[in-house]
Amino acid sequence: MNYKRTELGSNIGFTSVVDDKFNTCSIRITMITPMSIDTASEYAVANNIISDVNSKLNTIAAMNERLSELYGAGLASSVSNRGDMQILSVSASWLCNRFAIDGEDITGEMLEIITDCIFSPFADENGFNEDIFRLSKKEILDVIDSTFNNKREYTLIKAREIAYKDEPAQFSGYGTRETVEAVTAQSAYKAYKNLLKTAQIEICFVSPEEEERVQEVFREKFSAVERNSRSHVFYSPSPVKAEPVLVQEEYDVRQAKIALNFKYDTDDVDAVHLMCIILGGTPVSKLFMNVREKLSLCYYCTCRMSEFKCSITVDCGVERANIEKATAEISNQLEEIRKGNISDEELQSALLALENSYTSFGDTHDSYFSWYFGCFCRNEYISPQEHFERLLAVTKERIAAAAANVKPDSTYHMLNKEAE
Amino acid sequence: MSDREIITSKRTGDSCIHVKHKSGLDVYIREMAGFSSVYALFGTKYGSVNTTFKLAADEEYTEVPNGIAHFLEHKLFENEDCGVFELFAKTGAQCNAYTSFDKTCYLFSCTKDYTENLRILLDFVQKPYFTKENVDKEQGIIGQEIRMTNDNPEWRVLFNMLRGMYHSHPVQIDIAGTEDSIAQIDADLLYKCYDTFYNLNNMTLSIAGNIKADEVLAICDEMLRPCEDKGLETVFPDEPDDIVQAEIREKQSVGASIFQFGYKCLPCKEDFLRKEMTASLAVSYLTDASSEMYNRLLSDGIINASFGGEVFAGDGFFTVIFSGESEYPETVKEALITEIKRITDEGINEKIFNRIKKATYGDLVRQLCNVTAAASVMINTHMAGCKPFDVVDIVSELTAEDALSFIRNELLPEKTVLSVIEKI
Repeated sequence: MNYKRTELGSNIGFTSVVDDKFNTCSIRITMITPMSIDTASEYAVANNIISDVNSKLNTIAAMNERLSELYGAGLASSVSNRGDMQILSVSASWLCNRFAIDGEDITGEMLEIITDCIFSPFADENGFNEDIFRLSKKEILDVIDSTFNNKREYTLIKAREIAYKDEPAQFSGYGTRETVEAVTAQSAYKAYKNLLKTAQIEICFVSPEEEERVQEVFREKFSAVERNSRSHVFYSPSPVKAEPVLVQEEYDVRQAKIALNFKYDTDDVDAVHLMCIILGGTPVSKLFMNVREKLSLCYYCTCRMSEFKCSITVDCGVERANIEKATAEISNQLEEIRKGNISDEELQSALLALENSYTSFGDTHDSYFSWYFGCFCRNEYISPQEHFERLLAVTKERIAAAAANVKPDSTYHMLNKEAE
Repeated sequence: MSDREIITSKRTGDSCIHVKHKSGLDVYIREMAGFSSVYALFGTKYGSVNTTFKLAADEEYTEVPNGIAHFLEHKLFENEDCGVFELFAKTGAQCNAYTSFDKTCYLFSCTKDYTENLRILLDFVQKPYFTKENVDKEQGIIGQEIRMTNDNPEWRVLFNMLRGMYHSHPVQIDIAGTEDSIAQIDADLLYKCYDTFYNLNNMTLSIAGNIKADEVLAICDEMLRPCEDKGLETVFPDEPDDIVQAEIREKQSVGASIFQFGYKCLPCKEDFLRKEMTASLAVSYLTDASSEMYNRLLSDGIINASFGGEVFAGDGFFTVIFSGESEYPETVKEALITEIKRITDEGINEKIFNRIKKATYGDLVRQLCNVTAAASVMINTHMAGCKPFDVVDIVSELTAEDALSFIRNELLPEKTVLSVIEKI
C-alpha cells in the first residue's frame, strides 16, 4: 500500500492510497462546515442534488443510464455530524479499467462525471434546476420521516437531541423537517456556491494503481474557485447537565427502548475508549454478560462513544416493566469499572478486539476512508498500529480513573403504550 | 487426504479450492493475497422453513415448533464449560451467527490466529450442550429479539406479504418463531434437530482471506469427526400455485409508509441459480432508474430512491418482490402490472438489457475482491447447488429472450400480493 497526502489549495487535502489488491477505484469528496441550523438543510439538499445529476447528465435517467453503462458504477451522497461540524460527502466507486470488457476508460469517464457534479451542477443564475430540486428536497424529507421506522435509530436520535440541547450537534446533519421545507432552489444553490468557497475539503482516492490525473484534475478545478476557507476544530465537549434529565415518550410499539447519555471530563481519551469496549463493546462486555446473558433482560445492550463531544451512550431494547432493572444494572456495571473491578480477561479481550479491528485496516476502501478522515478530524496522522500501541499502554487504573469522570447526563425512554 | 478441485473463473481469473472432505463436509477455500483479514462461515442447510423432516431410518416425519432452527443457533454458543464468545474473546476474533429461511451459519472474522479461531469454530458447532436451565434462560433473550423485530416495519411488511402469498409453506413463519412457539422448545427437541441437520454431509465450510489452504485442510482433518450420511429428507406441505390474499394492510407507528408488492412464482426444482439470475436481471430491468416508468413515478412523488426489487427464493418458494416507501402503493402496483403487460406484448429492449447485464457483471466482479463477500458467495452458491464462479458465467450467457420468458410466464397479475404498513 502506498499512502500520500498533499494539499491541493487552501484547506483542500488530497489523500491518495494505492493498493494493488483491489479491482475497483473509489473516491470520497468531503466538505466540512460548522453545523448550523440556519444553513444545514440548504447544504444537505444541495449535496443531494449534486450527486443525482450534473449539467451534462442532467436527468436522473441520464445519470443512471451512464453509471450503469460503466459497469454499475456507484455515485452517492451522505450527510452527517462530527463534533459540531456538518460533514457532506459525495462518493463514487467503479471497476478499474482492466476489467472493462469493451476497453473503456472507466476511471477517466467517472472522473469527468464526478468533477462535473461538483464544479458544474445543473443550475443557472436562478438556482438549481427546479425539477431536480423538488425531487431532491422530497428525498431529504422522506429520509427525515423514515428515521422513525427504525425504532433503535430513532431512540438514539432523540437521545442525541437531549444530550446536546442548545448545541449545534443537537440537530441531524439534515436539519429539521421545517428547515428543509424552507429551502428553495435559489437558496440551496447560493448555499452550495458558498460551501464550495468556504468549506474545508478532504478528498480521498483509493485505487489499485497510480492515477496522478485524479489529483491533477481536482487541483486544476479548485484553482478556478475563489476560496475563502478556514480550518475547523472538531473537538467540542458537551457540558454535563447540572441535574440528569429524563425524557419519556409513549408510542404504539411492542418493545420499550432506552438510551442513557453520559458525559466525561478527562483528556485520557484512550482510557475512555477502552472503558467503552469493556462496558459494552463486545459480546463478552460487562453489559452483554450481565444485562443480556445473566439477567435475560434484552437482546442487545451496547455502549458507544462520541469522541469529539466527550459523551457516551448506552442503549438497549427492553420490557417496559424491566426498564428500572436494566438501568440499575447498567449503572452497576459502570460503577464496577469505576471501582477498578476489571479482570485481566476483560482488559485483554477488549485489546484483542481492538487489535482485530485495527489490523483489518486496508481490507476495504471504506476502512481507508474512515481511518484517514479520522486522522484529519483529530489533526493527528498516525497509523492504526501506532494508535493501537497507545491503547496497549492503558492500564486498569487509567480506565477506572476515566470512568470516575463519567457522569450521567440524560436519558431517553421510548415506551410501549399497552404495557401499563 | 481428500481430493482438491481448483475452480477458476474463465472471465476474471479468480480461483478457489473445493474439497469434499472425508468427513462428509464440503470445504471451500479462497486464498486472497494482500488482505489481512480472514472470514469463515460454517453452515448447515437448515433454516426456519425446515420444520418437517425425517432420516432414512425413521418411519415417521418429525414436526417441530416454529423458530427452532434460530433457537438452536443461539444455544450452540453455550458450551458445557464456558460460552463460545469467551473463547473467541481470547483471540480477538469477532464471531457471530445467523439463521435464514434455509440455512444457519456460524462465522468469525479475524486478522490473527485464524488457525486457532477455525479450531474453535469447528469445535463448538460440533459440540451441542443443551440443558433445561440454559434453554429457559434463552427464552427471555429471544422473546426480546422477537419483540424487536415485530417493531421493525420492514420485517412486518415482508411477513405479511408472505402470509398473503403462501397457504402452507413455512416461509410465511417468522424465522425466530413466536413467543408461544419458542415456549414449546426443550433440550430434547434441540438435540433431535441438531442430530438431524448438523450432520457434516449437510454442511459447508467456506473460508477466505489471508489463509493457506494446506493449513485449513490440516485443521479440518484434525477437528472434523466423520459423519455417516443418514439420508436426511425434508418435506413441505403441498403449496397451491395461487395466492391466499391479494392485499394485506397493517397500521404501525412509522414515519414513512412502506410496501412490498410480490409475485408468487413457481418454486425452482433444478438449475436454481440460472432461474434466480434470470429473475434478478428481469427485476433490474423493471426497476431500472433510467426507465420511463421509474422516472414518471419518481417525478409524480409516488416512489422515492428507496424503490427497488429483489428475488426472494429458496427451498420450495420463489418470489419476486418490489418494495419501497410510498403513500400510494396501489399506484406503484398498477404501474408495475401495466409495465409488465407492455413488456410481455412488446418485448425487451436488447440494448437496455445488455447495459443491465454489464452493471450486474460489475457488481459480481467487485464482490470477488472483498473477503466477506467472497466467503459468502462460496457458501451461498454451493448451497444453491452450484460452483462459486458459475454466477458470472450464467449472467454472461443469459439473453433478453430468457428475461422476457420469465416475465411472461411468471409475473402474472393474478399471483400478486400487496402488503402495506401504513402510518397510524
